[in-house]
This record gives sequence, structure tokens and C-alpha cells, in this order.
Amino acid sequence: MTAIFAEALVRHFPPDIRAVDGIDLDIQGGQIFAFLGANGSGKTTTVRMLTTLIQPTSGRASVQGLDVVKDGQRVREQIGVALQEASLDDLQTGRELLTLQARLYHVPSREVTTQVERLLGIVDLEDAADRRVKTYSGGMKRRLDLAAALVHRPKVIFLDEPTTGLDPISREAIWRYVVELNSGDGVTFFLTTQYLEEADRLAHDVAIMDRGKIVARGSPEELKASIGADRITVRVPDDEDALLKRAVEALKSVNGFEDARISEGTVVIYVRDGKSAVAPIVRALDELGVPMEEISVSRPTLDDVFLRTTGHKMEQDDLLGAPARSQL
Amino acid sequence: MIRLAYYTFVLMKRALRETIRQPGFEAQNIFIPIFFFAVITAAIGNTAGRAFGVDNYTGFQMPVAILQGIAGAASVSSFGMVTDIERGYFDKLLLTPTPRLALVLGRLASDGVRVTLLTALIMTIGIIAGAGMEAGVGGFIVILLLGGMFGVAYAGIGLSIALRTGSAQASQAGFLVFFPLLFLSPAFAPKDNFEGWLKFLATINPVTYILEGMRSLVLDGWEWEKLAYASLAIAGLGAFTLTLTMLSLRYRIR
Repeated sequence: MTAIFAEALVRHFPPDIRAVDGIDLDIQGGQIFAFLGANGSGKTTTVRMLTTLIQPTSGRASVQGLDVVKDGQRVREQIGVALQEASLDDLQTGRELLTLQARLYHVPSREVTTQVERLLGIVDLEDAADRRVKTYSGGMKRRLDLAAALVHRPKVIFLDEPTTGLDPISREAIWRYVVELNSGDGVTFFLTTQYLEEADRLAHDVAIMDRGKIVARGSPEELKASIGADRITVRVPDDEDALLKRAVEALKSVNGFEDARISEGTVVIYVRDGKSAVAPIVRALDELGVPMEEISVSRPTLDDVFLRTTGHKMEQDDLLGAPARSQL
Repeated sequence: MIRLAYYTFVLMKRALRETIRQPGFEAQNIFIPIFFFAVITAAIGNTAGRAFGVDNYTGFQMPVAILQGIAGAASVSSFGMVTDIERGYFDKLLLTPTPRLALVLGRLASDGVRVTLLTALIMTIGIIAGAGMEAGVGGFIVILLLGGMFGVAYAGIGLSIALRTGSAQASQAGFLVFFPLLFLSPAFAPKDNFEGWLKFLATINPVTYILEGMRSLVLDGWEWEKLAYASLAIAGLGAFTLTLTMLSLRYRIR
């Protein structure tokens, strides 16, 4: 069954920002779907439309078969949402916040206490349950926010960058909860993330979004296979443009060469057979007098898919685009 | 309707809890009107009373202190709303099946409770200070009701600004609006003493009627016409501010 559907979904912001530019989605129930994109790519705007927080400018979308515009209230009953940056009330305790959330979702009174205790246990917050939220660390807030999204046992959960800014231990904990809920209870997850590793590790299905459009779609394995080549990274001691460009020219003659890109002072080469291409690459660079500091061979990653489909690396875009486009 | 009442009640309890955990706001709302009440009645009570032909100037001033306290207390919810918006918690509430109207009514209901308690406190202090209550216990209760309703109606100003702008500074203007309304009413002298533009502005000012309604209960007993005008003024103000608030809410979630 289709859990989340969108057709030609568009959202404009004045004066002329097309934050989401005609995307189509068809996400099956029980999947973990990862929406990958840099800051400002339109991920959050998509989530806000699908969760009824804002209305689409055009196009249509549904969750669990319910139209997000016409049946907004019923959609909200079906979904759990943890927005970007844990949005919590600092003046309440963790237990009070979950209890309030349960009441707002009409969890039967006799079940509220049990459900709240169960969730506090799931997210390891029993000891901090009676402390005010303002005393929680960033990781604890995220976990509480996730628990708040689960309070009414939704079948579809939207997590907007759930691990951004978290330390590795907290990030690992969030990943564990997502996998447990998905495999145990069959919960469908719509996850937006800037972390390629997160998408690679968790998702059954990935879409890469860039400037409001979906530019690639498939399982992580399918996307990586679409690169069709191994990746060889060459670092030169001096990352001057001229030297890097000379290196790219030198490598075009290597047998099996498919593509090469300059990225953060390194040259990334995609070749059909990485292992056998190393020696010719070293020779070619040597003949052109390009000094080499380091060379490594790896299988393609989602990072490569992102670079190939968007033309830029995720981190570079974050640095350049984050302040101006962080709300898109 | 039952559904709306349920959500309003749940969110009112949350807003009241928020108030209890920020006692500084309430302390200020209690202290300022009582301080002005004490200073004005002590400094100019006798003179003003003689000059304006008011026998009991303490009783004359008590409703002013009540309205001043209410205006301060009613502005607290707009700060709460702005804080929710800034923290993103307002979005969290919007994502629940809570009816949109209840998000506003929950805060307004908590304001109603808070200002009713504040009114009771100021009246008790006023009566101890010699204000009296000609309409007796019934009058005390009616002033509580009028105060509570005025608080709800007045809170709508700050709340609508908070929803429209999401700015604490802008929503503070909701409180500042009260000063011209108060000074352009018969707060310090009966309206009969006013002339020209001041009389005109006092006549179209809803605070005038609320003040005179409360004052009649304190000084004269049951004057139904004044109470009817006070109720109408509150209802009109309430209808206006609630409409404004709902429009602002619609703007925020468009």
C-alpha cells in the first residue's frame, strides 16, 4: 500500500523562490525513505507540506490515502512528526510533555501513563523524566521529540534531520530506534537528512533533492551501482587549480576512465576497474610531473551519487547556502 | 463543541503550568497596579475626591488598578505564544489533531483564570484599604466575571500580534495599547468633568464603560444599565480581538 504520495508538488515563496519544484513521490508502507539534500534543497518544505503545516502552491499529496489539504486533520491523526531541531516546551518536564502530547492525540486516559512510561523507556529517558526539558542535552531533546512523535502509535513518521548536530552516540541511538520501529512495528519513516551515511545505513529507498527537484531515486545499492565505476581519489601536495586541472588532463588517457572531478583539493576519478587502474594513474601523473601525496581506491558511495547527480558535494553546498536557504 | 472544549481545557492547563513556572511575570503584574493604587490614593485621594465630588476615591480608583493589572497579566500569553513560535513548539502543536481555534482559546482561557485570580487579589486589597463594595458579595463576583472576560478580550490584542509577527517586541505593543485607552477614560476623574475631544474619545473608548460598570458596583450598588454597557463593551472588544487573532492564525499557517 502507498503510504505517502505526491504528484507535481510545488511550493513557491514570495517573491520568486520555487522551494519545491514539481516533485513526485510514491512511498510504500513499511519502508524507510530517506530524502537527501543540502540545506535549502527543499527537503523541509516538502515535509511541511506533507505534514499539513503549509499548503502546496500546486500539485497534490496524500498520506495513508488522505489528501493533505482536504483531510488535514485526519492526516495529522495518522502521522508522527519530529521537526528539524527538537521543538519542545522547555518549561515542562519530559513526562509532562509526553502526557500532554498523548492527550492531544486522544490516547485513552487509562493508557496514557503506561504509554508515557513505555516511551520514556524506549528512548532511555526514565531517569530524566521529571526534569524540565531546558536541562536536557541536545541528544536527550531529540530522543524526547522522537518519543513525542510516537505517543499515538502512528503508522507513518516524518523525521526532519533527526540527527543533525548530535554526537555519534546519540545519533547511533536514534538510528537504532528507527530500525527497531520499522522492523518491529512496520512503521513507515520519511527521513530527511544531510548525512549520506545515515541514508545509506537506514533507508530502503532514497531520493536526492537539489534545488527543489528530485534528481535521483532508488535504493542505496541501486544508486551506487548507477555510478558504474570505482572511485580513485588522488591528493596532490599543493591544491592549486592549475595543478589539479593538469592532473585531470593526465588521467583522461587512463584505460577505463569514465569521469573526473576536482573536489576540495583532491581529484576524484571514476574508472571501470579501480584496482588495475592505479598503476597507470600513477605513471600518467608522473609523466606529466604532477606530484602525488596520496591515492586511494574505493567502491562508490552515496557521496559519489550526490556529486554526480547534483554537480556539487553536500558539504560545499551547506557552507555556501545554509544561511540564506535554511528554511526552504 | 465538546471536542473543542476538551482541547481548550488541555491547553489551558498547559498554559497555566507555564505561568506557575515563571512567577516573575505574575509578581510584576500584581505589584505594579497595587503600587500605583496605593500611591495615587495616598497622594491625591483626598484632594482629587474633593475636586471631583467623589466621596470614596479609594473605591473610585480600585477598578483602575484592576484593569491595569488585567492588562499586564493578559499580555503574558502573547509572550508565551511568541516563545512557542520561536522554539518551534507551536508547529508541534499544529501537527497534532488539535483544532486550530483551541490553540488560541486554550491560551485565552488560561488568561481568563489568571486575571480572575488577580482581580480577586486586587479587590481584596482594595476593600481592606477602604474601597468598600456597595453591591456586596454579588458585586464582588460580578467584577470578577467582568475582569475575567475583559482579560480574555484584551489578551486577543497581544495574541494576534504575536501570531502575525512572531516577535516579542511587537507583541509587547499589545500591553502599551492599554495606556492610551486608560488615560482616555474616566480613570482619574468622572466623565462629567471632561469636555471637547477628551469627552468624545472617552465616549467611544470601551474601557470607559468597563470602568464605569465596575465602579458602579463598588460605589453605588446595582446599576443595571452601566453593567449592560460594560458587558457590551467587553463583548464588542472580544469579538474584534478574537477575529483579529483568528485572522493572524490563518496568516501564520497559510
